[in-house]
Amino acid sequence: MPDLSIGLNCPACGGAVSVQEGEGVLNCQYCDSTLFIEGDKGVQTIAFKMKVTKESAIAAAQGWWKKGFKARDLKRTGKIIEVYPIYIPFWSTTARVAGWVCGYEERRHSDSKGNTRVERIPKEVMVLSDYRYSEIACDPGDLGIRTLRNFSGERSFADFEMIPTFETTTSKDVAAKDARSKAEEWGREQANVPHVTFERLYVVPHNMSIIYYPIWVVRYSYRERMYMNTVDGVTGTVLSGRAPGDPLFQSLAITFGSAAGGIVSGAGLLLAAFSEADQNGAYFAVGGFVIGGLLLFGTYRFFRRGSEIVEGEFSDKEGSAKTGLGDIKQISQTLSQIGGRYP
Amino acid sequence: MKVIQVKCPHCNNPIKMKQKDLLFYCDSCKTIHVRDGGINVIDYEIGDFGRNAPQGDRIYVPFWRLYCSFTIKNMKVEGGGLFKLSNWVKGGAGTGGDIFIFVPASDFDPATFKRLAIMLTTLPPRYNSRTDFNNVPRLPTTMSREEAAQMAHFVVITMEAEKPGTLQDLDYTLNVNDARAVYLPFLTSPQGLVLGI
Ligand SMILES: [Zn+2]
Ligand SMILES: [Zn+2]
Repeated sequence: MPDLSIGLNCPACGGAVSVQEGEGVLNCQYCDSTLFIEGDKGVQTIAFKMKVTKESAIAAAQGWWKKGFKARDLKRTGKIIEVYPIYIPFWSTTARVAGWVCGYEERRHSDSKGNTRVERIPKEVMVLSDYRYSEIACDPGDLGIRTLRNFSGERSFADFEMIPTFETTTSKDVAAKDARSKAEEWGREQANVPHVTFERLYVVPHNMSIIYYPIWVVRYSYRERMYMNTVDGVTGTVLSGRAPGDPLFQSLAITFGSAAGGIVSGAGLLLAAFSEADQNGAYFAVGGFVIGGLLLFGTYRFFRRGSEIVEGEFSDKEGSAKTGLGDIKQISQTLSQIGGRYP
Repeated sequence: MKVIQVKCPHCNNPIKMKQKDLLFYCDSCKTIHVRDGGINVIDYEIGDFGRNAPQGDRIYVPFWRLYCSFTIKNMKVEGGGLFKLSNWVKGGAGTGGDIFIFVPASDFDPATFKRLAIMLTTLPPRYNSRTDFNNVPRLPTTMSREEAAQMAHFVVITMEAEKPGTLQDLDYTLNVNDARAVYLPFLTSPQGLVLGI
């Protein structure tokens, strides 16, 4: 349990003063003297009170099971295995981002004769806003949580006796550097200038603090496989989760995938057999075979990975795509790229 | 970690302030110092209120006033014409000169920050100086001099970009020759802060 306020005495009047970590200046409540903290000031630490009961956390997880392309019998068949609360530390700060991004956007216009003209629209965009940074400050295993979505709640360390707490394992300096570059990146995204010719962005960060955030971890099983959810202990919303995909949807995808794969590669082979002399035909045949194989591979991948619906900031996912449907999109993109090469 | 009593580096008088402020003002000898690694006395000015400024609404707002040399080496603007060259730079022959850049040093929302910075840098206020606050409350300084020097870049680019035409490129140099804390007299009004000179 972190000691929040350090008991010290006012050097002027001897009165007891309590110093909050991360604080640089304070005023003595007895003699009004301005006091200055020398040396390592530490980091301001905040903890939010757990507001969500175990029952509400389970209800939130079960509500989440019903949404999207998750197994339709999940609500009936899913079995809660364990539910426990944890405190996770996050680095948190705000930074003002100020600057300008200039450049242009290109727009293509086609006339009735099919001629295309590219219009260049110059852009100058001011960036001036405050960026809120947060990043998990420990490694609690892959819970699908990296950043904070909520920054307010009742502040209290009372639950620290009851709830297991993860130690902070990353350094303040690393977090501060990360905050700076994320703030700059965010400013650039806000400006949204497609082709940049001039860019100056300035970041003024505030003090870094640590927020201990209460989270419920819900582990459950479905047909002998384990899945999980995390539920925000302040707002009660589901933060992340893994769930089985819908078997019907899956089997449809597998059937169509295999069928299409089989037909395309079969046709490819047939073509190859009948057009040995024709080189173009041979290319097409090989192409067909490759596409068919890819379709089969895609189906296999969907069966293996797409059978799970994943939501949240998991490390095995790119970005934070909302559902496992991202996987399907990726496969179809790969296919269309290959397809483009073998028209 | 060690707690020490803040005393004036000039007269050793203990500092007593009601607010958390980066600048320590000595009531006794009117010295302002900062503690950013070392103990450094800094230059400052306090602007006097106009005689007709209502007493109740008076407040001092801290700024970092940076006296800078600003030179535009190259600039590209789409549309807007040639007068986009910096005609506001004092003594400048169109491409450069010396300017006072005012950077609000207290915690303002982005819109107020920009409004005050552009307003004062465009038209530097004239005021009579005084050495005390005459019991008028003041906003705490939360921005360091170094941070203000960064924000000065934002101010000059904004002034160039907001002229007619669309800025496409700006190559310039900005050197800070002098930085001082300037407390300007303001009045709180329903429209926000207005100068009380
Ligand atoms: Zn005291
Ligand atoms: Zn003094």
